[in-house]
Amino acid sequence: MLRVTLRGVRAHAVRFLLSILAVALGVAFVAGTFSLRTMMSSTFNGIVEASAPADAYVRGATEVAGGDGGFGVGEARNPVPVELADEVAGVDGVSLALPDVSGTVVLVGADGTAVQSTQAPSFGLAFYEDDPSLSLVSGEMPSGPDEVALETATLESSGLALGDATNLVIGGEVRQVTVVGSVDAGGPMAGATIVMLDPAVAQAAFAPQGTVSTISVYADQGVSEQALVDAITAALPQLDNGAEASAVSGTDLREAVQSDIAEMLGFITTFLLIFAVIALFVGAFIIANTFAMSVRQRVREFALLRAVGASPAQVFTVVVGQAALVGLVGSGLGVLGGLGLVELLRVVLSGMGMDLASDIPLSTTTVVGCLVLGTIVSAVAAAFPARTAALVAPVEAMRGDITVHERSLRMRGVLGTAVLVAGAASVVAAALKHESATADALLGVGATLVLVGVLVASPTLARTAMRFLAAPFVALLKPIGRLARGNVIRNPRRTANTAGALTIGMALVGAVSVIAASASASVASVVESSTNADLILRSATFVIPKGAVEDVRELPEVGKVVEIAFTSAGVSPSSGVAPTPQDAGGVISLEQGVLGSTLLVDVSAGSTDDLADDTALLNTDFAGEDWAVGDTMIVTTAVGTRELRVAGLFESQVLGSAVVVTPSVLDALAPGEAQMIDTVALDAAPGVSQTDLRAAVTAAVAPYVVVSVQDRDEFVDQMADQVDQLLVILYALLGLSLIIAVLGIVNTLALSVIERTREIGLLRAVGLGRMQLAGTVTVESVLTALFGTVVGLVVGVGLASVLPTVYSDEGLDQLVVPWGGLGTMVVLAVVVGIVAALWPAIRAARMRALDAIASE
Amino acid sequence: MNTPTSTPDPAAVIASARGLVKTYGRGDTAVHALAGIDVDFERGQLTATMGPSGSGKSTLMHCMAGLDRPTAGTVMVDGETVSSMSERALTKLRRDRLGFVFQAFNLVPTLTALENILLPLDIARRSVDKDHLDAVVRAVGLQDRLSHKPAELSGGQQQRVACARALVTRPAVVFADEPTGNLDSTSARDVLGFLRRSVDELGQSVVMVTHDPTAASYADRVLFLADGRIVDELRAPTPETVLERLGALTRRVEADADETRADETRADETRADETGADVAGAAASVQVR
Repeated sequence: MLRVTLRGVRAHAVRFLLSILAVALGVAFVAGTFSLRTMMSSTFNGIVEASAPADAYVRGATEVAGGDGGFGVGEARNPVPVELADEVAGVDGVSLALPDVSGTVVLVGADGTAVQSTQAPSFGLAFYEDDPSLSLVSGEMPSGPDEVALETATLESSGLALGDATNLVIGGEVRQVTVVGSVDAGGPMAGATIVMLDPAVAQAAFAPQGTVSTISVYADQGVSEQALVDAITAALPQLDNGAEASAVSGTDLREAVQSDIAEMLGFITTFLLIFAVIALFVGAFIIANTFAMSVRQRVREFALLRAVGASPAQVFTVVVGQAALVGLVGSGLGVLGGLGLVELLRVVLSGMGMDLASDIPLSTTTVVGCLVLGTIVSAVAAAFPARTAALVAPVEAMRGDITVHERSLRMRGVLGTAVLVAGAASVVAAALKHESATADALLGVGATLVLVGVLVASPTLARTAMRFLAAPFVALLKPIGRLARGNVIRNPRRTANTAGALTIGMALVGAVSVIAASASASVASVVESSTNADLILRSATFVIPKGAVEDVRELPEVGKVVEIAFTSAGVSPSSGVAPTPQDAGGVISLEQGVLGSTLLVDVSAGSTDDLADDTALLNTDFAGEDWAVGDTMIVTTAVGTRELRVAGLFESQVLGSAVVVTPSVLDALAPGEAQMIDTVALDAAPGVSQTDLRAAVTAAVAPYVVVSVQDRDEFVDQMADQVDQLLVILYALLGLSLIIAVLGIVNTLALSVIERTREIGLLRAVGLGRMQLAGTVTVESVLTALFGTVVGLVVGVGLASVLPTVYSDEGLDQLVVPWGGLGTMVVLAVVVGIVAALWPAIRAARMRALDAIASE
Repeated sequence: MNTPTSTPDPAAVIASARGLVKTYGRGDTAVHALAGIDVDFERGQLTATMGPSGSGKSTLMHCMAGLDRPTAGTVMVDGETVSSMSERALTKLRRDRLGFVFQAFNLVPTLTALENILLPLDIARRSVDKDHLDAVVRAVGLQDRLSHKPAELSGGQQQRVACARALVTRPAVVFADEPTGNLDSTSARDVLGFLRRSVDELGQSVVMVTHDPTAASYADRVLFLADGRIVDELRAPTPETVLERLGALTRRVEADADETRADETRADETRADETGADVAGAAASVQVR
């Protein structure tokens, strides 16, 4: 039977071509995702190795909430004094101890804009002469506040050369500096912008309190990491500044950091895999369709096999085996494709200044996993057609005319409707009980059931819907409209399966576009109702340099300036309870009187006017029902702790932070770099026009490069742009499913043209022209694409319309259906239909009438 | 050029072929399906073409109807030279001037009987002559089956729908390829009776390929083909006379097969001599043999 299986595929190789392609695309996505993950994690692991090469680290002994634990990850700890480094250097076995001083900077490149690639960080760090992790490639060490050295990749992407003067925003100020050296940081840095500074300068800017989160310690030759850690741990209590410090081995620290990174990459992988699985699922539709049609054509062959003694199980195995073979070949190509995809991505990213590790990011597990996955998906997809083949009676071999009896659609219709109704009921329940905790689950389950129900019922639906969709074609295009309608209705299962692939993608597109439009509108209405400021300052690095705020404040055109400074801190989970490291929350500072005048909020208890140095205001999102005016809120940071009386509760959807305090409280809790100004709101001085205000402010912040000046409308637009960018990424990820769905249409059309050879011959004999024949195939294609698109969009939009009811409390309170965008999708469906029909239509038109009639 | 077969009045010729050759394949594997045929089909008559399988009778019809292109020779239908037409012109010819009835798979399964009948008019975007349609439908006796799909019709009914479709455009010629090949005798009689009436009552010209002597007996004239040539002809046939001629033909073919391949050269020379010669005479001599 193996020979029959293999020969069957070889004889019909062309017919399986698109199935193979569909599997290949889906598997390429999966393989690409995994190898991207491998490449990213090897890149980031390399960065960790390069940037944390020390044998041991000295850090704070106790974990605190807020801030971070050094190297951007892990639990925050109390900081250690810089002076401790000198003391640790004296411990036996220690060759070198260097405080890790670093902080964010903005480097202005040769083109006058900030040097920043993709979303990679931009930071400055102290360059110690004897630091083993950094090595000077050319030029000299930076010395004094006016000199910097740049990491080699940073130097290249900045367009600067040694000796060039440029601007650096550091510690909130703009400073003119000269590039004096280029430095190798030990490997590709994934596009991070790294500026090396004189240690004293770095310390003044980034560690004004004289504290750092870690000290790198290098061992004398022959001293193991563990011996070093033991020696330091023993010595610390005797040191002047060692009381609150502890030591950890370099290996342990690196592993902790790397496992944090692996977790983050895991989220990205999962996110991408969702789309890869959708693509594979859509590909499975194509395989199911191909084999259903192939089985129809080969009924006599299977009957013959049965007649000569093959059991139904053997016939079943033949078909499933062929599908598995198709899957295996497809996944093989897919693995190669995935590798190519990642290779391409690497080239593109490196063109954008993001260097990534260059080893081949494909493990044996990934290859084997992908091959198995593609093979199994294909085999499972072909199971139903294989069952049909297995049930062919041997007597069919003797019959002249072969007819495959279509099973009744009633079962599918009833079952699909039942699932659909159950799903809809669940969604409605979620909308009605949107306050309950189960609303999310109800909505998710309901949405899935609705989609599954529609897919199950869609053959029944196709029959009815096609009559409506086809009506204009039947009326306008005689006779091809009627012929095309007949062709799409005659086998509703096939039409529905073909369109189903598109339905899935379009349902997601519909839902995503409604959510995006609603989110944009919600953000706009929230911003409109929460501030009346004339101008809003934002930063591309999410931190507005302090110097910029001060410069703006001094402008005569500017009236009131409200800066919103933020820090992450430990906040009490309930009144009077001290926060543990897990109770992290956002704390922002506002001048007394800002809430209610520049920032408009609803006060639900107490008064915002009572904000003072011993009080705090709480956001009701955080407070819930548990907090009341007069309760005690304890805020903890790495630097200190404050007990504050709760003076009021407010509702706001723009201020996401839990606690509002006065600037002096925040300064005490989070000095220097620990607090970040993320937004500044401005009003014009009396009598100054908006235009003049804007011109003056724009000029004042220009040296800081990253600060943007926006009025409220632009601010809203920028928010909308961010939503749109996300939308573009989602569309791109869904694009692959749509491409596979289009392949499905091509596949079905091409195969049904072969299947209908004699009918086409007849039509040509009675005078149907080639163009008319091609037109019929095209109309069929367009109808299928339209059906899939319209059903998908209706489902997607319908489901997404419920979201604003369910999530109104989370700020998504506006329902906007982007009719224009949806209309574009429908037009796109027509275009897709036409494109998909090209090849099959040409094929049909080229068929010679006589050959077609004569064909058996 | 000498007139082959019997000589009809030129004005009465609806379709004709001269020196028609059709060769499949080339070199050693070449098969001469039509080995140089001259033939005239008369207007307003039902002409049947018979012959053993492989005799070229279907190929002759395909070439006459513009479904297949001859290797050499000319084909004229209703005053137009079919053999030199472009694909586009052929399509138009089939649509406007010809009608077809095939042995099986005659109807588009997704269209109703009426839609199938009107298909050529739809394709040509021609308006429906209601009276003519009614007449045709009544003639085939399908008044109450018009809204049925082909799958809901019997084989005989399907063939009658096909006949109605072939006639509804008032074509110059209807070509029927084994129209009763798949039918029981009662249904076959219905279909043949209808084709006969369309000739007698509507003045239609019909060319029919068949292997059934009874079917051939409905014709005004029967042409017999063997080895790509017309070897005999019979007017006013009856099943008995057709059967008799067929028997003679079969004997001849068997006798030919006995002759050695070495005779091929001679046969070619003979053919050269006979090009335009009296094939009927030759056939007659065969009969004498």
